Amino acid sequence: MEFDLFLRYGPDLLKGFGITLLCWIIGSAGGAALGFVIACLMRWSAAPVRWVLGAYIELIRGTPFMIQLFLLYYGGPYMGLVLTPVQAGITSFIVYGSPYFAEIFRSGFQAIPPGQIEAARAIGISEFTILRRIMLPQTLVLITAPLTNFVIILSKETAILSVVTVPELLFQTQTMAAETFTYVEPFLALSLFYWLLVVLTAELGRRIEIRATRHLKRAASST
Amino acid sequence: MQFSFDVILHNLPYMLGAARFTLLISITGIALAIVLGTFICAARIGRSRVLRVLSGLYISAFRGVPLLVQLLLFYYMLPRIGLDLPAMPAAILAVGMCSAAYVAEIQRSALQSIPSGQTEAAEALGISPFALWRRILIPQALRLGLPSLINELILLVKVSSLASVVGIGELTRVAQNITGQTYRPLEIYITAALIYFVINFTLSQLGRYAERRLALT
Amino acid sequence: MTQTETSPSDPIMTVRGMSKWFGNFKALDAIDLDVNRSEVLCLIGPSGSGKSTLLRCLNFLEHYDEGEVRKDGALIGWQEGPSGPRKPLKPAALRAQRHHIGMVFQQFNLWPHFSARQNVAEALRQVKGLSADDANARALDALDKVNLKDKAENFPSGLSGGQQQRVAIARAIAMEPDIMLFDEPTSALDPELVGEVLTVMKDMAAEGMTMVVVTHEMGFAAHAADRVAFLESGRLVTCRPPDEIFGAEPSDARLRSFLQTYRERNVV
Repeated sequence: MEFDLFLRYGPDLLKGFGITLLCWIIGSAGGAALGFVIACLMRWSAAPVRWVLGAYIELIRGTPFMIQLFLLYYGGPYMGLVLTPVQAGITSFIVYGSPYFAEIFRSGFQAIPPGQIEAARAIGISEFTILRRIMLPQTLVLITAPLTNFVIILSKETAILSVVTVPELLFQTQTMAAETFTYVEPFLALSLFYWLLVVLTAELGRRIEIRATRHLKRAASST
Repeated sequence: MQFSFDVILHNLPYMLGAARFTLLISITGIALAIVLGTFICAARIGRSRVLRVLSGLYISAFRGVPLLVQLLLFYYMLPRIGLDLPAMPAAILAVGMCSAAYVAEIQRSALQSIPSGQTEAAEALGISPFALWRRILIPQALRLGLPSLINELILLVKVSSLASVVGIGELTRVAQNITGQTYRPLEIYITAALIYFVINFTLSQLGRYAERRLALT
Repeated sequence: MTQTETSPSDPIMTVRGMSKWFGNFKALDAIDLDVNRSEVLCLIGPSGSGKSTLLRCLNFLEHYDEGEVRKDGALIGWQEGPSGPRKPLKPAALRAQRHHIGMVFQQFNLWPHFSARQNVAEALRQVKGLSADDANARALDALDKVNLKDKAENFPSGLSGGQQQRVAIARAIAMEPDIMLFDEPTSALDPELVGEVLTVMKDMAAEGMTMVVVTHEMGFAAHAADRVAFLESGRLVTCRPPDEIFGAEPSDARLRSFLQTYRERNVV
């Protein structure tokens, strides 16, 4: 394998990784934020709003990310929405992730025994305070695992952004492969790189989970 | 430019035709994944340490690399190692092998969710290990795993769109081609999205129906 | 129908003609009941008789459909107004009513991510707006009253069921309610832990707290209650002092058979 190839294209690959990270982080954070709002609205808003959001969730989850991306990037200009590839990539990423994040938050909310919320209501604690002080702290601990899991899935989905020429890691690798007529080695190396990224992120998530649930385990073991 | 239903109507037959390939990839893909995944699952929970490590590596690797990268790697690697498969079987193989890693984990968690007391009860009655698996564990694992397997199939319908990148004429690729000719991305991609949605919605309803029918109450 | 024979009339809560449906099922049927200041009123009856539902209507955790529940004259849960379909109170107004009505649940319902002290202090800070220091001091006082000051920093998972229930009681009394509602407070407890909770409740009664207690502990009802109300099939059958309920053969056949079943189950 020719290592000077990677040296020559090193800066481009590094830049590509930077774009991958950017799309991944903003996409995940934005998707989680939007998903949280959706989950809250699904719980507390009137039936018509819930119905519309339910349709949104089903539609986004029922269609491939690639089609959503094409629709926004190529179809957007016909709706007066002209976006750069990176803008379109990040936006569609946020939209794509939001229903999955919403489901994660919803299941977290549901896992809290209703009696706890009832007890808070019986004392006269407001709904917003119940969300902030009783539900969220417990929900975040409960959903650490599915949350990191989905963020890891998103890290892999960033590769799809290459199809609308977002200059992320896969795109840079493809460019390099095409210019040098070597295909197997670059894609093999790229696979290893993603694998490493995923394994490391999973490990990080596992540590966060252990840390987040530590007080529960300690308390439980003292009985 | 006005939204044109004519464009949709005119191109719908082509797109529906292409959707057959989408279904072909995902259904053969899941079939392959179930067979392969069951073996990997068996290796993962079996007695052999080597097989456990290898199956663990397989699962980790295929779940750790973006499917699009796997597809490209397959596309360029297969000829290099002397396997000159046509594009479609190559894509199905790639999708199936990747999905097998997920199916293996689905089977494993289904098996593990069967209370160990059932195995003990069977052993106490003197039921043979083979009969235990065939009559008690596997039927339950399939029931327990069925919703997840249908989810996996829905996932495959969606990820089959990635095969467009290596030139396979499934729904996404055909939508791209039609867009290239008509310059009507809005109409065409909305239509494609709706076709995908109808397929997946049907599958998820089927899944719910099956889940209800198989539910142990 | 039997409400009339109670004497010292200083009701803190009045229930008049209250009915409640779950779908087509009439869970409560035209309940009339007074809760007098500083009395201990026990609600007994077979499961499904509606006694928990009645209790939960008193602080509007369940919405009653007909009739009135009033505390110190104010209608609970619904907006006061002319007849016709009633509107529920605005959330803030309902919360304000609940500040004065404490409640203890069968399943404790402590918040597992807070320590015992934090469980008690939370509402003091969020609802009463106390500073962290004041809330903590009050929380420790309340825990002291239920003999749990030394467990203040334990999390619920590190407490026995009886201790958890006492924390839940402390959480309610720290709010200085005018009346306390207990929904089968000892039913989820192991038998050996029931006593410590009942002791705390008797102490509260001795200090003059108004208490409405749904219970299966006939011993508690017989010895600690001022009056005992017997419900069956959503109706209030009778409400009398405990010696009239548990003493000589009760006149009402349904009460007689309920107590009979109860005694048979608890023969030692």
